[in-house]
Amino acid sequence: MNNPKNKWLAGPYIIWMIGFTVIPLALIVYYGLTDKSGAFTLANVLAIVNAEHAKALFLSLGLSLVSTVICLILAYPLAMILRKKGVGAGSFVVFIFILPMWMNFLLRTLAWQTLLEKNGVINGILAFFHLPGIAIINTPWAIILGMVYNFLPFMILPIYNILMKIDDNIINGAKDLGADNVQTFLHIWLPLSLPGIVSGITMVFVPALTTFVISNLLGGSKILLIGNVIEQEFTKGSNWNLGSGLSLVLMAFILISMALIAKYDSNGEGGVI
Amino acid sequence: MMKTKGFKKFIEDFYMVIILLFLYAPIFTMMVLSFNNSKSRTRWGGFTTHWYRQMFDNSAITDALYNTLVIAFLSALLATIIGTVAAMGINQMKKLPKAVVMGVNNIPMLNSEVVTGISLMLVFIAFGITLGFKTILLAHITFNIPYVILNVMPKLKQTDRYAYEAAQDLGATPVKAFFRIVFPDILPGILSGFLMAFTMSLDDFIITHFTRGAGINTLSTLIYSEVRRGIQPSMYALSTVIFVTVLALLLITNFEPENQAGISASKVQETMRKRRRNNNIRKGFLVFSAFTIVASVSFTAYQKYSTTHSDELFVYNWGEYIDDAVIEMFEEETGIHVTYDMFETNEEMYPVIEAGAVRYDVVCPSDYMIQKMVENGLLAEINFENIPNLANIDPLFMEHSRSFDPENRYSVPYTWGTVGILYNTRLVEELGLEPPARWSDLWNPAYEGEILMQDSVRDAFMVALKSLGYSMNTENPDELAQARDLLIAQKPLVQAYVIDQVRDKMIGGEAAIGVIYSGEMLYIQDEVANLGLDYSLEYVIPQEGTNLWFDSWVIPINARNKENAEKWIDFLCRPDIAKMNFDYITYSTPNSAAKAMLDEEIQNNKAVFPDMDKLVNGEVFRYLGDKVDGIYNDMWKEVKSN
Repeated sequence: MNNPKNKWLAGPYIIWMIGFTVIPLALIVYYGLTDKSGAFTLANVLAIVNAEHAKALFLSLGLSLVSTVICLILAYPLAMILRKKGVGAGSFVVFIFILPMWMNFLLRTLAWQTLLEKNGVINGILAFFHLPGIAIINTPWAIILGMVYNFLPFMILPIYNILMKIDDNIINGAKDLGADNVQTFLHIWLPLSLPGIVSGITMVFVPALTTFVISNLLGGSKILLIGNVIEQEFTKGSNWNLGSGLSLVLMAFILISMALIAKYDSNGEGGVI
Repeated sequence: MMKTKGFKKFIEDFYMVIILLFLYAPIFTMMVLSFNNSKSRTRWGGFTTHWYRQMFDNSAITDALYNTLVIAFLSALLATIIGTVAAMGINQMKKLPKAVVMGVNNIPMLNSEVVTGISLMLVFIAFGITLGFKTILLAHITFNIPYVILNVMPKLKQTDRYAYEAAQDLGATPVKAFFRIVFPDILPGILSGFLMAFTMSLDDFIITHFTRGAGINTLSTLIYSEVRRGIQPSMYALSTVIFVTVLALLLITNFEPENQAGISASKVQETMRKRRRNNNIRKGFLVFSAFTIVASVSFTAYQKYSTTHSDELFVYNWGEYIDDAVIEMFEEETGIHVTYDMFETNEEMYPVIEAGAVRYDVVCPSDYMIQKMVENGLLAEINFENIPNLANIDPLFMEHSRSFDPENRYSVPYTWGTVGILYNTRLVEELGLEPPARWSDLWNPAYEGEILMQDSVRDAFMVALKSLGYSMNTENPDELAQARDLLIAQKPLVQAYVIDQVRDKMIGGEAAIGVIYSGEMLYIQDEVANLGLDYSLEYVIPQEGTNLWFDSWVIPINARNKENAEKWIDFLCRPDIAKMNFDYITYSTPNSAAKAMLDEEIQNNKAVFPDMDKLVNGEVFRYLGDKVDGIYNDMWKEVKSN
């Protein structure tokens, strides 16, 4: 394995990356830093301080943060329960949790609309039991629900995978040495599962931050997220320069968040699954 | 002790069930909807298996399914190979180059999908690669590789490198040592990477949307083109079939007989071995069946795309804007092979034509967009000698077309209509209000949470500008600012900004009033009658005047089959064909010969065919130039972010 020749195995992929990742990125940088006539400008990047753009960005950050936290709170106990089920049954159950992702995500999100609407399925069931209805459709709460729904499997998987690697003997050892449940959790479970948590957070936070479909379908298009702004500049406003400039800003925000999270990730490149 | 344990187990299972319910609720909803006799998402119209039959009959759906599976499988497979090899290389790199490569590797995952999609499209165009099946495949491989690498890397780190070296010392070739020692260790990572890549590819919409070429749809792009005029329930049927198939495969491969009670240690070992063997058989079965399916599917897809046609036509039209039978009849009568694609908005269509990424022969944009295309030199003059059936088009509409095509040289009208207010008679009555008659009624606080507005800049500003008594084509910043403030003031009253979902939401009784295109009226009235609802939905053209719109056929300047395009336009102008189309899409036809063939009742339906002379202040949208468009867009953003 220490054969230095092995590192050339990455060659084909590096060429691929240059063609399909680096050059496209360079194009975006070019568009982001020029105006329509092709002259250099910072206006597209600085446009983020416009009230509408800044508000959309902070709203996106807020909503994706809340969704990520909810995903984490829901996924961790679930992953612990799945771990207990053992390898065979556990991996079967894990598959059951990923299966929904094989249905088209536009259809799934539209189905949530049907569920949540004023005359929707959930309110129909609640009315049957004479319970007060819920009115979260077209509010930020519906968007959070949509994000949690769509991205929860991305949190479950890496945490489950890292928990499966933890040796039972370590846990038993801690218990034998007199640690109570809270202590075991704080000093054993949590530190050992941190890489999984980190990659889970990354895989939920990033798509949640850039989404625009969920906010359109479940937010009634009343709530403008930064993903919507960028999408509209590209597909509706035909202002690719502004769209590129704003995506550069968004990328910067993502990189900063990743850097902050990576501080907790001792491994260097994350233990994604 | 036992009791608390049981209780704990109960809590745990309960928690799992709750999360599963959450994850499966929308899927069950889809399954139920697939048996719904009504097309509406919110109303139950009785049990039917009609959509399942339609799904298998519809070649667009089966083709899209093929494409989706082939692309998902091939892209996941190739990404897994490239990614695994690359991961081994990267693992051997020094710290700095490793960090750089991993950083770049993460870019596709960190970038917003729109940006990745558009930038890839630009690169394909720049490299001169025609968009098509292979560009989708390239794009999918590109965003799949990072997932494979991220799955394989941690496993590689855990492998015991001494075992690998020892194997070589004992005489194994590096390749053999790899397959015997390293490969089994990292296999779980490779498999989960493959699975993840497959899932990602299956679910991708945005990147596919920008990198696909003419005539190729995956399920996602097909569904998206249907969102505009309502999802066909056959899509729900398809999802149900996929779900049941995958679940069945999963259950078959995971089924194991349980007989663990009272067995000796040797027996345990034996069962373990057996189970492992069973496991392998099951895995083999799964891989084998998947492979057979994909191989047969790839073969059919290959045959399909490798057949070339001497006489071709590339059509780009709105989603659900033609009777499929019309396309088949055209192909039969002319022998021209039609490749038919759909777009959702004018704005989404424009860059595709402008960039020339896909060379369509005939397109159906709206009025103002035609003007923009004419002004930017994107359209070819139509040779009207090839279109004798133009005589069937009411001259009045050629007259109206002049507002965007001044000399009638570039366009032939296909459909037309107005924009007005649709209201639910019962809900309006319950609120104690008169039926709406003016745009300004949309500002009545009594309608709080009951209003559906159009989610597009020009349509929304049209409503506000008209209610203020201004032109909807105004370029006056003061007038626009007033309209913007009015829209901001209206926002708390609005339930949602939607495009074509107005139709389903109004039928479902979700809102009392909404802004809608007149073309939906026949469908809505039919559906209300079919469902036997206890309210009716009425359409009114507001007194302040409204938007008169036209969708017309045009031929792009870079069309390769211009004469075929003219044959197509001529065919659609034939009265029997125009009538067939009208019966299907229900948008008003400018074809007077076709109109004369309709039932009296429909001819006199004022929502569908309003009297032109009574349309006071009716205006057609004009393209206002990039600068004014920019002002509209900025103001719309202010409304939306407020």
